Amino acid sequence: MADKLLEIKDLEVIYQSDFETVHAVNGVSFSIERGQTMGLVGETGAGKTTTSLAILRLLPDRTGKVLGGSIEFDGRSLLDLKESEMREIRGEKISMIFQDPMTALNPILRVGDQIYEALELHNTEKKTTEELHKRVDEMFEMVGIPPYRKREYPHQFSGGMKQRVIIAMALACEPELLIADEPTTALDVTIQAQVLMMMRELKERLGTAMIMITHDLGIVAQTCDTVAVMYAGSIIEYGTLEDIFSKEKNHHPYTEGLFASIPNLEEETDRLHPIEGLMPDPTNLPTGCRFSPRCPKCMEICKTTPPPEWEENGHRIACHLFKKEVQ
Amino acid sequence: MNEGKGRALIETRELKKFFYTPQGTLHAVDGVNIRIDKGCTLGVVGESGCGKSTLGRAILRLHEPTSGEIYFDGDDLMKYDKKKLREARKEMQMIFQDPYSSINPRMSVYELIAEPIIINKVCRGKAEIGKKVAELMETVGLAERLTGAYPHELDGGRRQRIGVARALSLDPKFIVCDEPVSALDVSIQAQILNLLMDLQDSMHLTYMFITHDLSVVKHISDEIAVMYLGMCVERAPTNELFRNPTHPYTKALLSAIPIPSLEMRHKEIQVIKGEITSPINPKPGCRFAPRCPLATDECVGHDIEFREISPGHFVSCIHADK
Repeated sequence: MADKLLEIKDLEVIYQSDFETVHAVNGVSFSIERGQTMGLVGETGAGKTTTSLAILRLLPDRTGKVLGGSIEFDGRSLLDLKESEMREIRGEKISMIFQDPMTALNPILRVGDQIYEALELHNTEKKTTEELHKRVDEMFEMVGIPPYRKREYPHQFSGGMKQRVIIAMALACEPELLIADEPTTALDVTIQAQVLMMMRELKERLGTAMIMITHDLGIVAQTCDTVAVMYAGSIIEYGTLEDIFSKEKNHHPYTEGLFASIPNLEEETDRLHPIEGLMPDPTNLPTGCRFSPRCPKCMEICKTTPPPEWEENGHRIACHLFKKEVQ
Repeated sequence: MNEGKGRALIETRELKKFFYTPQGTLHAVDGVNIRIDKGCTLGVVGESGCGKSTLGRAILRLHEPTSGEIYFDGDDLMKYDKKKLREARKEMQMIFQDPYSSINPRMSVYELIAEPIIINKVCRGKAEIGKKVAELMETVGLAERLTGAYPHELDGGRRQRIGVARALSLDPKFIVCDEPVSALDVSIQAQILNLLMDLQDSMHLTYMFITHDLSVVKHISDEIAVMYLGMCVERAPTNELFRNPTHPYTKALLSAIPIPSLEMRHKEIQVIKGEITSPINPKPGCRFAPRCPLATDECVGHDIEFREISPGHFVSCIHADK
């Protein structure tokens, strides 16, 4: 198939303080091909954002540490690059859209200047100032903001418009990979529909690969090609959109729980079936399968041994339930 | 079903709440008529800034309404003086959106739940209060060992349970739930929704459920009111609204929800252009007109009637039946 753009193997990230160690990401592996969109799904604290920060090497300096694993982007190992080389990749090859548009922009710079800044820093083709300004205008038009508004400040924009500015900034250098961390969580549904539609169009036009981090399974269904479900720092199920969403296929009990927790618009349900209990404390993860304390299908073996990976045509599930079918 | 169903517990007539700002008058709630029957749930949906929370607060007179009438169990709340209102408030409670900022971080779970009981002198004596708190904690599913815990030790779901327990402590009849689950993760959200529905059944509660999440509102409500810029643009029983949305804004809102299933992946999304306009000094006429695909000249310049197009289904749009 198409060549791999990003390949992550056994990534392990911890946050360390004087008193405790938070095991945020525990052995995550996945890969993304060019032009593909992967959805990264999970609840708060599952390690979604930490994974993406690790890719960009933006983990907090003193506390965050990559313990092991490899991140390969376009054939280069990101973890071994010098900071100066990394700076060339950030923003130009890989860029990120942050969750909260209200705080991601600098409030005392004009929005146009903020995009200009990104272009100027990555101006490898030695374009002139006029050319760069023209590019800023183009970007504004692409995300549907009239270019004359580039002289305004962030507080003059609404939430949806700010998110567009951030998307324009992220796409200004035509990155090969875009990491979108809950790009629409802070927006209203009608605005969310506008932004998602726009992102899909842009992705098709520019051929950008994307990691879509979200907890909304509806957004995943609309935008993604492959899906990885994360729980307590590990990917517990990975597959194509069809693998994850079709009811006939095998699923991890956590994935099933996630689907049962959402009120369904199509069917009438009297009661929701939430997953009992809470996310485990990442400083003190359960032994064996991390989902075992909440799992309705928990067996004895789950409490002691980490689950093996079951695989069928690229659909991977980490659960003891499906062990037999491998043999 | 619940006793007394079919009688209105809450009814508003032309309820208005204006805020006066240096830029002009902000019409946060502008002539809203709603009616909630005993034991029922009215879901109020709309985008941020459309006045849903203000409506909820105005009904409890937490924001003093500018004009209009509010009937609670047949009595006009607007005519109540301070003392009477204080009595009436015991019967009307509120659950707030953000469990992280709505409870005092320096009070323990016990103190938080006991506070309304002590203030309103529902129970006297330590033993009686302690018993009541223990009962409430059991009702909302908080473990007894958490009695002495402080909010920072608890996760969002448990904090929201404290909010629910506080609201229930005075045995209210009516609870305004202002986005009680939007700050929570899906699996926890489902737990809280189930809790609220169970409590409604066992305690005959009436809810006004404010949210922007349409799948949640469909799950919990008997009737839904859709708000846009301070006005109620459509009101109908839940199934009727989802089967037959009539106002262009409701249609757009419903089509914009991403649905987690494969079949719906390629559905046409009716994307509405533009964003919510300013509620300051709005012009007469339909407020959705600038974004509406059906808008014509007849939509602006005069007030749009909120009319009944089928039993129980109200809409304010002149193009509704076309």
